Amino acid sequence: MARLTIPKEELLRPGHAACPGCGPALAVRLLLKGLGARTIVSIPASCWTVIAGTYPSSALGVPVLDTPIESTGASISGLRAAADALGLEGLTVVGLAGDGGTADIGLQALSGMLERRTDAIYVMYDNEAYMNTGIQRSGATPLGAWTTTTPVSASARGKAEPKKDVMSIVLAHRPAYAATANPSFPEDLVAKAEKARAVHGARFLHLFTPCPPGWKFDSADSVAMGRLATETGLFPLYEVEDGRLKITRRYSRLKPVGEYLSRQGRYSHLTPQEVDAVQAEVLRGWVGLLRREAEAGPAHDAPSASLLTR
Amino acid sequence: MQEVRFLGRGGQGAVIAAELLAQAAFLDGKIPQSFPFFGVERRGAPVTAYARVSSEPIEVRGSIATPDAVVVLDRGLLRFAGATDGLRENGWVLVNAPASVQAFAAPAGIRLASVDAARIAVDHHLGSPTLPIVNTAILGALARVTGIVSLDALERAIAAAVPRKPQENRAAARAGFEEVRPLTDPRSRLPLPPPRPRRELPLPEGPLALRSSEEILTASWRSLRPQIDLSRCTRCNFCWKYCPDVAITLDAEGYPKLEEEHCKGCGICAEVCPPKTIAMVAEA
Ligand SMILES: Cc1ncc(C[n+]2csc(CCOP(=O)(O)OP(=O)(O)O)c2C)c(N)n1
Ligand code: SF4
Ligand code: SF4
Repeated sequence: MARLTIPKEELLRPGHAACPGCGPALAVRLLLKGLGARTIVSIPASCWTVIAGTYPSSALGVPVLDTPIESTGASISGLRAAADALGLEGLTVVGLAGDGGTADIGLQALSGMLERRTDAIYVMYDNEAYMNTGIQRSGATPLGAWTTTTPVSASARGKAEPKKDVMSIVLAHRPAYAATANPSFPEDLVAKAEKARAVHGARFLHLFTPCPPGWKFDSADSVAMGRLATETGLFPLYEVEDGRLKITRRYSRLKPVGEYLSRQGRYSHLTPQEVDAVQAEVLRGWVGLLRREAEAGPAHDAPSASLLTR
Repeated sequence: MQEVRFLGRGGQGAVIAAELLAQAAFLDGKIPQSFPFFGVERRGAPVTAYARVSSEPIEVRGSIATPDAVVVLDRGLLRFAGATDGLRENGWVLVNAPASVQAFAAPAGIRLASVDAARIAVDHHLGSPTLPIVNTAILGALARVTGIVSLDALERAIAAAVPRKPQENRAAARAGFEEVRPLTDPRSRLPLPPPRPRRELPLPEGPLALRSSEEILTASWRSLRPQIDLSRCTRCNFCWKYCPDVAITLDAEGYPKLEEEHCKGCGICAEVCPPKTIAMVAEA
């Protein structure tokens, strides 16, 4: 028998209400394997509210707080303060929000929580649109993607603006730990969850989570789609600890982005020129990431005294 | 007043079917009502929608307990108890099924008919062969067997309300009207599935949600099931690792076991299995 490469314990229960092949469901199943049972999760309005189920039943083996969509960050600051006041020890406080609830509606509360150095983990599961309300574009929807609010017609080509770079916004707050992860790479995701749990301070995870109905692909391909996103360099896996960036899945050659884009209905209108433009953007991003990794010295290392006037 | 219950799966168009029926009835000069059951609208999940048609103002609101017709867009849903519950004496069960399927679970004292709405939809380029959009074809069949609306009104409702491929959808409704087959042979009735035992659990008293979602059986979402050929299994546990529904467990020796009651049939396990020992096979 092959050795188990991730913990056996399940904190996601079957019978939940995610679509077949749901990336966010698999991502949270793996996430909780890494975070363990002494976790409390705050969930704002999103697909995950529905997946977790309605009172009195729950799909999660950990306590859940239902939160308004704009206040995930504030709610986990409050949960941490309450846990400390009650003297609860070894508790991991987690916020679990979609990309709409993070990149757009909850950005202020996220920034506040990071700036206050709240001892909690904010997790953004990114299915690249407001899915629970029927596929509306969010700030995290990529350039060119079809959604119901970025239609494709004679005069429109899907989303006209590029994806909001939430990770850079987060890193500007200098969190204790931040990482990207993808459920198509379970060992990497679980390892990052375990690492995030062990660190203290404000932590952030950006999870890449394919959504079959929202992206228009067959549910069976959900894991393949996640793999391609990373293998093409579109969603690189890395972590940032104390400002030091480290790529956790390295490729000497990337797959062409066309292999990823062509398998999703939301990109079916793209012309070869538009695919080339995405390709160029992805390569720019990958090279930039390699450069940031090479500049090992983080921006907030103790500055050299010689920079000061005397 | 005539009352119709539509049973389908997310993505098949059951809710639109109920709306189109109501609009056609309105064009016939009747007073209609239509609405979906409020539940999870996930692809593959069972969806119920209702329509009422009357010549008088309709005072009732709420779901339909005693329908005159049950329209089954996915016959796999007849595997589960409750599909035809409350159907009136002499009422209709109309099932989307290929001509080769001649028998369905149905209560006694009702009338049964089937139409190959999936084939009609594919013939008219509605949806894809794996997810045909069957609602207009089956509405044509319903108009024929129950006379609840005229074919003419149905076609006009489709022309007015269906944004994509209105002509193809009208043609599909006509084909459904022509091709529907009443099944009068007593052998076409199969016994009903046994009622699901109800587990009454006390509500928790505290603020915590103490009941597990495991009570919710999501098997009804599935139209394909994974079949694992254990003789070729290398015990790599990929199927277990990647299942979003926690529907595969590992036995003491590390062999996978399918948890039938919860698998939604997404097909991920079959896709990720390196030696390809898992096949997705049709249910029922
Ligand atoms: C203030 C507010 N506005 C709108 C909504 C409606 N709403 C519920 S879920 C949801 C979608 C959230 O999208 P996202 O955060 O991307 O998560 P996903 O649904 O994609 O999982 C919206 C807009 C709400 N609950 N509260
Ligand atoms: S819409 Fe997408 S993210 Fe939401 S439950 Fe379905 S697959 Fe998951
Ligand atoms: S098809 Fe396979 S991966 Fe999908 S829910 Fe069923 S067991 Fe899990």
